[in-house]
Amino acid sequence: MNNYSDTVGKIVESYMNRLKTRLRPVPARERDEFLREIRSHIYESYLQAAGDAESDDVTRILGVLGKLGEPAEVVADRLSEAMMNSGTRRKFPLHIVAGVLIALFGIPLGFGGVAVLAGVLVALTGIVLSFYATMAVVFLTGTLLLVLGMMRIYEPAVWDRLLAYGVIQMDGPVAALFDQLTPLGQGVLMIVLAGVFVVCGLAMLWLGKHLTRGLRFLFILVFDWIRKLATRIRHRIFPIERELLQFDSAPGF
Amino acid sequence: MEPGTLYYRIPFIMRYTEEGRDNRVVQLRKGIIELAVMAVLYRDRHYGYSLVRVLTEDGTISLKEGTIYPILARLDRDGLVRSEWVESDQGPPRKYYALSPAGRRLFSELTEELDLLVSLVKNDWAVRENSDASGKKLLIRKR
Repeated sequence: MNNYSDTVGKIVESYMNRLKTRLRPVPARERDEFLREIRSHIYESYLQAAGDAESDDVTRILGVLGKLGEPAEVVADRLSEAMMNSGTRRKFPLHIVAGVLIALFGIPLGFGGVAVLAGVLVALTGIVLSFYATMAVVFLTGTLLLVLGMMRIYEPAVWDRLLAYGVIQMDGPVAALFDQLTPLGQGVLMIVLAGVFVVCGLAMLWLGKHLTRGLRFLFILVFDWIRKLATRIRHRIFPIERELLQFDSAPGF
Repeated sequence: MEPGTLYYRIPFIMRYTEEGRDNRVVQLRKGIIELAVMAVLYRDRHYGYSLVRVLTEDGTISLKEGTIYPILARLDRDGLVRSEWVESDQGPPRKYYALSPAGRRLFSELTEELDLLVSLVKNDWAVRENSDASGKKLLIRKR
C-alpha cells in the first residue's frame, strides 16, 4: 500500500498516532474515516513532493507534514464539535476530566474562587435534589388518595373508623363539602384528585429531565470557562511557552 | 517569520494585541474558507489533496492543509456534499467529494450574501443598491 522508507514510515506513524490521540473524543467510525483520509493525503502529498524536488526523503516528509499542520491544528475544529455532540454519551469521563482540570488549574484561580464555584454548584445540586423530593411527595400523595378513594367506595365503614380514631382529620370547609356527598361521591372525588396529583408528578418528572440537562450544561460551561482562564493565566506566567507555541496558532489558520 | 511576531518580544500588553489579531484572522477565514471549498467543489469533483492543490495553486493564501478535512467532514455531515471512496491506481484509496444539490443551492445563496458583505466592507454602494432593487436584504442568518 505504501512505499515509504523505514524512517519516513516511522515519522508518518508517529504523526498519525499523535493525531489519533487528539481525536479520542470523536466517535470511532468517524475517527477512522478521518485518519484514513489524512493518511491518503500524506501519501499523495509525499508522492507529489518526490516528483517536484530533489531532496532527501526525510526532509520531504517533514515538509509534507509541516504543510499539513500540527495535529492540534488539524483537529481543533473537529474536536470542539465532537465534544458537544457526544455530551450525553461521555458524561462520566467529562466529569472526571473536569475534576482533574480543577485539581490542576484551581490554584491559579485562587482557592477562594474555586470554593465559590463549588458552593454554587452544590447549591444547584441541592435545588435538583429538592425538586425530586417534591416530586416524590406528590406521587406519594396521589397514591394515598387513590387508596383512600377505593377504600371509601368498596369499604365505606373503614373510613368512618379511621375518622373516629383521628387518623384522618379534616378542616371545617373540606369536611362540610365531604358531608354533602355520598360515600361513592367522596371516593370518586378522591380518585380524581389522585389522578391530578399523578399527572402533576409525571409533569415534574418530565421537567426534571430538562432541569438536569440544563444543570449539566452549566457544569460543563463553568469547567470550560475555568480551563480557558487557566490557559490565559499560564500564557501570562510563561510568555516563552507562548512564543514556542506560536507555530501552532500562527495566522496560517 | 509571520508579520507581527516582533510583538512577542514586548511583554504583556502588546502580546494580547497580537493574540487578538490572530483570533480575528482565524474567525474571518473560517467561514470564507468553507465557502471557498464549496466553490471549488461546485465546479468539480475532488479528493482532499487535489482540493488543497486547487485552493493554494496561485499561492496567495497560506493554508494549513489539514484544516480542510474538518471542513469537509462538517459539509458531509450537513448533507451539503456527497462523498465516496474510490480506489486509486497508486497508493491508498481517495475520498472524493462533490457538492450535493442542497449544497449547490446554499452555495449560490451564500455567494450573494458574501457579495453584499464585501460591498459593505468596501463601501461599494452600487452593489447594495442594485441588490435592494431586486428585493434582497442584507441578512445574516443564524445557524
